[in-house]
Amino acid sequence: MERVLGDKKTILVLLGPALIVYTVVMLAPVVISMGYAFFDGNAITGFTWTGTDNFQRLFDDPDVRSSLWFTLKYGLILTVLQVGLGYGLALLYVFVLQRGSALVRTLIFFPVVLPTVAVALLFQKLFEIAPQEGPVNAFLGVLGGSPIDFFGDGGHAFWVVILMDLWRSAGFYGVLLYAGLVDVPEEMLESARLEGASTYRLVRHMIIPLSMPVLLSALIFSINGTLKVFDSIVALTNGGPGNETTPLTLYMFQTSFSYGDYGYGASIALMLTVLCLLFTVFIFRSARRDVTEA
Amino acid sequence: MKISSIGGRRRAAMKWTGVGTAALLVLTACGGSGGDSDGDGSASGGGNPSEFSFLVNAENTTIPDELTTLSEDQCKAANDDLPLKVETVPQTQLDQKLQLLAGQDALPVSFAAGNTPALTATLDEDGQLLDFEKTFDDLGVLDKISPAAISTIKSLYGGKFNVLPYQYNIEGFWYNKQIFADNGLDIPATWDDLVAAAEKLDGAGVQPLSASGEQGWPLTRLISGYIFRELGPDALQKVADGDAKLTDPDYVSGAQAVADLGAKGYFGDGVGSIDYDTAINTFLSGDAGILYMGSWVLGSFADDSLNKIGNDNIGFFPFPDVEGGAGSSTQTPSNVGLPMTFSAHQYNDKVGAWLKCIAENYGQASLEDQNSISGFVPATQPDLDPLTQLVQDQVENTKESVLWFEALFGSKATTVSQTNAAPLVSGSTSAEDFMSKVQDALDSE
Amino acid sequence: MRDLRTLPAKIIVAVLLVIVIYPLVWLLLGSFKTQAEFLNDPAWSLPHHWQFSNYSEAWTTGQLGTYLRNSVVAVFPALAFIVLFGTAAGFALEVMVWRGRNAILLAFLIGIMVPGQMILLPLFTTYFQLGLTGSLWPLIITYTAIGLPLTVFMMASYFRAVPREIFEAAVLDGASMFRAFFFVGFPMVRNAVFTVALVQFFFLWNDLLIALTFTNSSDLRTVQVGLLNFTGQFGQTQYGPLFAGICINVFGALALYLVLNQKIMKGLAGGAVKG
Repeated sequence: MERVLGDKKTILVLLGPALIVYTVVMLAPVVISMGYAFFDGNAITGFTWTGTDNFQRLFDDPDVRSSLWFTLKYGLILTVLQVGLGYGLALLYVFVLQRGSALVRTLIFFPVVLPTVAVALLFQKLFEIAPQEGPVNAFLGVLGGSPIDFFGDGGHAFWVVILMDLWRSAGFYGVLLYAGLVDVPEEMLESARLEGASTYRLVRHMIIPLSMPVLLSALIFSINGTLKVFDSIVALTNGGPGNETTPLTLYMFQTSFSYGDYGYGASIALMLTVLCLLFTVFIFRSARRDVTEA
Repeated sequence: MKISSIGGRRRAAMKWTGVGTAALLVLTACGGSGGDSDGDGSASGGGNPSEFSFLVNAENTTIPDELTTLSEDQCKAANDDLPLKVETVPQTQLDQKLQLLAGQDALPVSFAAGNTPALTATLDEDGQLLDFEKTFDDLGVLDKISPAAISTIKSLYGGKFNVLPYQYNIEGFWYNKQIFADNGLDIPATWDDLVAAAEKLDGAGVQPLSASGEQGWPLTRLISGYIFRELGPDALQKVADGDAKLTDPDYVSGAQAVADLGAKGYFGDGVGSIDYDTAINTFLSGDAGILYMGSWVLGSFADDSLNKIGNDNIGFFPFPDVEGGAGSSTQTPSNVGLPMTFSAHQYNDKVGAWLKCIAENYGQASLEDQNSISGFVPATQPDLDPLTQLVQDQVENTKESVLWFEALFGSKATTVSQTNAAPLVSGSTSAEDFMSKVQDALDSE
Repeated sequence: MRDLRTLPAKIIVAVLLVIVIYPLVWLLLGSFKTQAEFLNDPAWSLPHHWQFSNYSEAWTTGQLGTYLRNSVVAVFPALAFIVLFGTAAGFALEVMVWRGRNAILLAFLIGIMVPGQMILLPLFTTYFQLGLTGSLWPLIITYTAIGLPLTVFMMASYFRAVPREIFEAAVLDGASMFRAFFFVGFPMVRNAVFTVALVQFFFLWNDLLIALTFTNSSDLRTVQVGLLNFTGQFGQTQYGPLFAGICINVFGALALYLVLNQKIMKGLAGGAVKG
C-alpha cells in the first residue's frame, strides 16, 4: 500500500506539469524581480547594483508610509467586513432560507462577474456631486443633509472604495462559506436547540467551530486579495485625492513603470509579499489555537 | 558592478524559462488553437521594418486618422512600400509599454514617446529616437516645419528636435461672450480683473470657471500661468535647474492664487471628480463663464451636439498679466501635444519616404480635415472658421512661448502635481503643502 | 415562531436584492443613452430616445466580436490546463504519501501572496525572446500559471475530505494510483472542479493587467482591454458605446452563469465530495 501511494513515477506525472508551469512562469520571474530590488534603474537604462539602498529608501519614503498605512487599513477592514457579511449571508442561506435559497444565492453572487471598469463607473455615478447629484447625495438631500463631495477627501473616498468592494465580493464569500456550513448536521443543531441553547450560543459554540476550515480558507483568501488590491482602486479613484487612497500595489506600479524606477518598485513588492506572508501565518496560528479551545 | 552580472543571471533564468515554456508548448500542442503563434514583425527589432508600425495612445484619434487618410492619397507610394499599421494602447499604460519594448530594442517605427518629457529624454539617452533636425535636413524638407514649433520642442526636450509637431497648441482662456455681455464684463487684462470677473459671475449665480480636477492639469496650468506672469518666462526653468524652489514664497503665491479661486467656490462643486468631458460640457452648455484650455478644444467646440452656446459666442483671451510681474500676456503657453516620434533603429529609406511625405502634406491635410493647427507648414492657406483663424493669428503673433507647469518635471513630480491639484482647490491641501510635495518629488528624481 | 423569523428575513432579502439588481438595470438603461444625456441628466433618469446605435457602435467600431473570440481562445484553454494540472497536483500533494509534499504545497501557497505586477517584466522579456508576443500564447501560459496556486490549494483541501479508504480500496482492487486518480479521484471531486473552474473563469475573464501587458496588437485584444478603448482623446469617455459594450459582456456572462448555475451551486454547496 505505502509503495503504491508513494509511487514516484505517478507523483511525477501528476504533480510535474503544475509544478513546472508554476515554477517557470511564476516563481522564477518573481525571484528575478526580487533580485532587481538590489539594483537601480529600469529596462531602458539598464540596471546598476546598489545593494540595500532601496530598502533603506523604504523606511524614509513618506509615500511608502502612507500607502502601507492605507493598505493595512483597507486590508483589515475589508477582510473583516467581507468575510463577516459573507458569513452572515451563508447563515441566512442555510438556516433561514434553507431550501429556497438557490435563486437568492445566484442573484447576490452576480456582482462578482461584473467587469471592474463597469462597477467603478457605477459607483462614481452613485456618489457623484457635480454636475449632477448622484442618488446618494440626492438621498442625503431628502434627509435634510448637505451634499458631500465623496471623492474630494481621503476619508470619504476610502469608505466608497470599501463599499464598492464589499458589494462586489459579499456574494462570493456568501457562497464560499455556504459550502462549509451546509455540511453541519441539522439533527445536531436541532437537539442542541431542544436543550435550550440560544441562537448566539449555537453559532458561537457549534457552527463556527464546525465551519472553521472553510472560514480559514476564506480569511486567507480575503486578506491576500485585499492587501493586493489594484484594479478596483485604479478604476474608482486612481489613488486620489492626492495619494490618499493609493495602496502599495499602485505605488509599486507607478514607481516601476511610470517613474522608471523598477528596482525600487521591486523592493516595494517584496515588502508587500512579506506582509501577505505574515498575515497568512498569523491567521493559521491563531486559528489553530481557536480550534483547540473549541 | 554594472549590468553584466545580472545579465548573466537573467540569461540563465531565461534559458530555464525557455525549457519550461517549450515543455508547456509540447503539452499544449493538441489543445485549442492559440492564435497565430508565428507572430508578425510589427514589433520585432532590427532596422528593416516590413510595415510602418505606429504605436499611439488609444485616446488620440486625430493623428492615426490623418495618417490613414494620407496613406490613401498623397502618401500612397510610401504606403505601398511600407504599409501603415496603427496599434493603440490606453494612455495610462503607454509608459509601461514603452519601457518593456525599449528594453528589448523592439520599439515600432513610430510611437507616442511617453506621458512626460522625462521619459522621452530617457529614450533619447538610450539612442532610441530619431534626430529630426538631421533627418529632415537630409530629406530636404526642414523648411516644412515652422520655426516656432521647433523652438517649442527644443525647449521641452533639452535642445533636441526629436518629436514631431503633429499638433501645435496654444492655451488660454475661452469665455462665453453672452454671459460676459449680460454681466457687463470686459476681457480681463490682469489677474485681479479675472478674479473680479469671477466674483461678479459667482454673484450672478453663474459658475465662473470650469475645470477638470480629475485630470489635474487644467488646474496646475493656472498655477504655472500665474508664475510665468509674475516671475517671467524662465521661472520654471530655474526650478528645473535647481536655482529656485517651488517652496519659495514667490512660487507659493502662484499656488495660493489658484487655491483662493477654489476657496471661493469659483470652480463649482466636486471639482476633483469632474472629468475632462464634463468640464468642457459645463462650458458648452452655458453653465460656466470661462474655461482654460488648449486650442485642441476646438474639436469639441465644433461638435454641434455638445456645443449649445454656438461657436460665434465663444471668445478667447490670453492668460492675463499679474500686476507688477516680470512676465507678460504676450508670452503664450504652447505645446505640441503628446509627443510622437520615430525609432532611430527602425529608420531606413522607406521610412524616410514616409517622413518626407508627412512633412510635406500633414500641415495642409490637418488644417483642412480637422481644423487642427500643426507645426508643419501648410502648402497653401485654406479658409478657416473664425475660431481656428483666431488661434492661427495668436500663433503667428506669439513672440515668445512658455511651457506648462509640469513640462520640465519628471514622471513622479508630474503625478504628484496633477493628483494634488484637486485637493489644493478644494482646500484640503494648503498652497505651501502642495508646493512642498511637488518639490519633494522633484528632489527625489 | 417561524413566521416571526421569516418576516425580517424577507425584508433583508428584498433589500439585498434591490442593492444587487438596481445597478444592472442602471447599466442597461445607460447603454441606450446619448453622450449628452450622460453629461446633462441625473444618473438615474431614463433615456429620452433609445439609442440602439450604441450597440452597433460597440460591435463594429469597438470590434467586440474579435475581442470576444480572443478572450475565449485565451481563457478556455488556460482553464482546461488549470483544472487538469491543478487537480492532479492537488491529488499528488494530498492523497499520495511522500516526503516534502508540505514544502511543495507551501510553495504553491506563496503564489497566492505575490503581487501579480512582479512577474510582468521578466515574462515580457522571455515571451519576446521566444517570439511569442504576436500571439495569444503569452496569455494562455500566464493565465495557467496564475490560476494554479489557488486551484492546487483548494483541490488539496477538497481531497483532504475524501476518505483515504476509497483510494486504498481501489488500489487493493489492483488499480494503479494513476488509474485511481482518473477513475476514482477525479469523478469524486468533479463538482468541486466545476466550482474552482468557475471562480477561475471569472478571474481570468476580468483580467486587465496581464492582457494589457502581453497583447501588442489590436487583433489580439481581449474583451476587457477592448472596453478600455472606448476612451477618447484627453480623457473623454464615449459613455453610450462603453455601456453597450459592458452590457454585451455582462449579460453574456449572466446567460452563461444562469445556464451553468445549477452545477456551480451544487459544486459549492454539495460539500464538494458527495459527487
